Amino acid sequence: MSIALRGVAKQFGEFAAVENINLDVPTGALIALLGPSGCGKTTLLRIIAGLETPDEGQVLFDGRDATLWPIRDRKVGFVFQHYALFRHMSVFENVAFGLKVKPRRDRPTTAEIRSRVYSLLELVQLRWAGDRYPGQLSGGQRQRVALARALAVNPDVLLLDEPFGALDSQVRLELRRWLRRLHDELHFTSVFVTHDQQEAIEVADSIVVLNRGRIEQFGVPGEIYDLPASAFVHRFLGQVNELPVELRQGRAYVGPLDISLDAVATTEGKNIALIRPHEIEVGAAGAGWSATVLAVRVIGPIVRLLMGAEGQPANEPLEAEISRERYETERFKVGARVGLRFRRWKVYPSDAVDHAWQSQS
Amino acid sequence: MPSDIIAAGYAVSYTHTRQAHHPRPRPRLGRLLLIALTLAFLGVFLVLPLLAVFVQAFAKGVSAYLGAISDPMAWAAIKLTLWVAATAVPLNLVFGIAAAWAIAKFEFRGKNTLITLIDLPFAVSPVIAGLIFILIFGANGWFGGYLRAHHIRVVFALPGIVLATLFVTLPFIARELIPVMQAQGKDDEETALSLGASGWQTFWHITLPNIRWALLYGVLLCNARAMGEFGAVSVVSGHIRGLTNTMPLHVEILYNEYNHTAAFAVASLLAMLAMLTLAAKSFLESRQPQLRHAVSQPRDRTRRQQT
Repeated sequence: MSIALRGVAKQFGEFAAVENINLDVPTGALIALLGPSGCGKTTLLRIIAGLETPDEGQVLFDGRDATLWPIRDRKVGFVFQHYALFRHMSVFENVAFGLKVKPRRDRPTTAEIRSRVYSLLELVQLRWAGDRYPGQLSGGQRQRVALARALAVNPDVLLLDEPFGALDSQVRLELRRWLRRLHDELHFTSVFVTHDQQEAIEVADSIVVLNRGRIEQFGVPGEIYDLPASAFVHRFLGQVNELPVELRQGRAYVGPLDISLDAVATTEGKNIALIRPHEIEVGAAGAGWSATVLAVRVIGPIVRLLMGAEGQPANEPLEAEISRERYETERFKVGARVGLRFRRWKVYPSDAVDHAWQSQS
Repeated sequence: MPSDIIAAGYAVSYTHTRQAHHPRPRPRLGRLLLIALTLAFLGVFLVLPLLAVFVQAFAKGVSAYLGAISDPMAWAAIKLTLWVAATAVPLNLVFGIAAAWAIAKFEFRGKNTLITLIDLPFAVSPVIAGLIFILIFGANGWFGGYLRAHHIRVVFALPGIVLATLFVTLPFIARELIPVMQAQGKDDEETALSLGASGWQTFWHITLPNIRWALLYGVLLCNARAMGEFGAVSVVSGHIRGLTNTMPLHVEILYNEYNHTAAFAVASLLAMLAMLTLAAKSFLESRQPQLRHAVSQPRDRTRRQQT
């Protein structure tokens, strides 16, 4: 089932949770709603589910106006961050719930329910846990039960609210790959909410980046990472170095470096350049912007260098990432003099820099 | 007086959420002193009066005790008390669930005022509560004329007693449910709805099992207070023997007539009710670890405002 949002807005008191949201989710897609806390992503998901009614706009399911459909008629499976398993029911009863509450004429027989529940538990690799209670399972297992329960009623749409947010990182990694495989096998339309950009990039077909109740960008993961539409998106997906830029007669200067202008910025004077750590080239002293290596951190396959560039304030070192191989040959040491060049950068007007989310990162 | 005992039982009940699991330190003088002091205090002010009730009740032997209880007037008071409790408790049950549901699951203007209002009966003296109903339904009250014209008796009759009891016991069930339901949030209900359950199925299969122990606990306290209430009922009852006297009122009348044995015999029934309530309460508290375990799944209640 395809989902479309047309001009959707929702207020909570004075607070505008989402404003003028237009979005098309094609049938069978796996979409991530990505953004910092308070950006409206969960509200948007709840509006799609029918747990909230938008103040303005429409929700279309397969082109039909579903804005006012009650949740139980929408055929959506909803999975909560904290699983929301029914604690007084066994795993089997949890998964069977959606089948057992069907009106008598649609309700499968006890034997059919049994076989359906066990095939779902098989799917989530928890066949052995049918008689267990939620309290006896680990977080990852509980979330898989919640998924099986949501899938039991054959939803057209699966909605997941920070599904892996409460799990530790190892389990998280496993579960999100598993979810991707599951989605590829079953082909339902899914929308999931996350604040973790890596999770969004790894799992989703397309990503919707939200900020302050508005869509900043909608696109495939690579595009969003490489061609951010705004300073916010640039900063939210991955790490960036921020450097003040002087615009003089159509040229931009970062420190002594003259960088040509692929910029969003058009105004003369002060702007800001965003440069990702792996876009900084570290070379021999004398070429480019001279700098001193302040710290070296080897993180598995990559090496992170902190550098004090000439003319930069001491408390704002630049961060560069180089490959382990390159580090093995160059052996940059703390205190070494180096020259910096930028492979890529993007210049934004400095008032586009949004500090609101920084405190949360 | 029996109502004191019940009131004491109720006061203790609010500590039930705290259960200490501290490693046991070595006994010290201060600790021993504190324990001794507490025990002495409890002994003098709780156990001794309770014992006195039973000693007085059986002062003239078992047959006198049984005679006092099976006295038609005493029996009428017992039946009336049971009727009042059987009406007031279910009504409060419905109100308590509705109020707790509204407060825990919905956001609306004036919610804090509502919570404060639910506590009002705790703050108002029961005598005032009784007088309110005299003022409204009494012969010279707001609706007095209308009621007399239609031959409806409210004050000095069963309806008045039930109303006064309802007023006094109103907070008990709601107060027990609100924190439990707030802690559980809405996720379970929303999940059930998304799985196709109707509102009633959701309430019956999901909400009710989640709150059952707190609900039972609230019912128990509500019942104890409904049966033991003296002040408010005294004002609206009119003290008509065999008709509008509940057990606590009957105890007072017998006592004022210097019929101590009979007074304490009836009082002993109320005392037994109090002890039964406490026993049942301890049982429910022994189920609390399960309840607590159930609640311990973290719930992010404020998320909707944040995201």
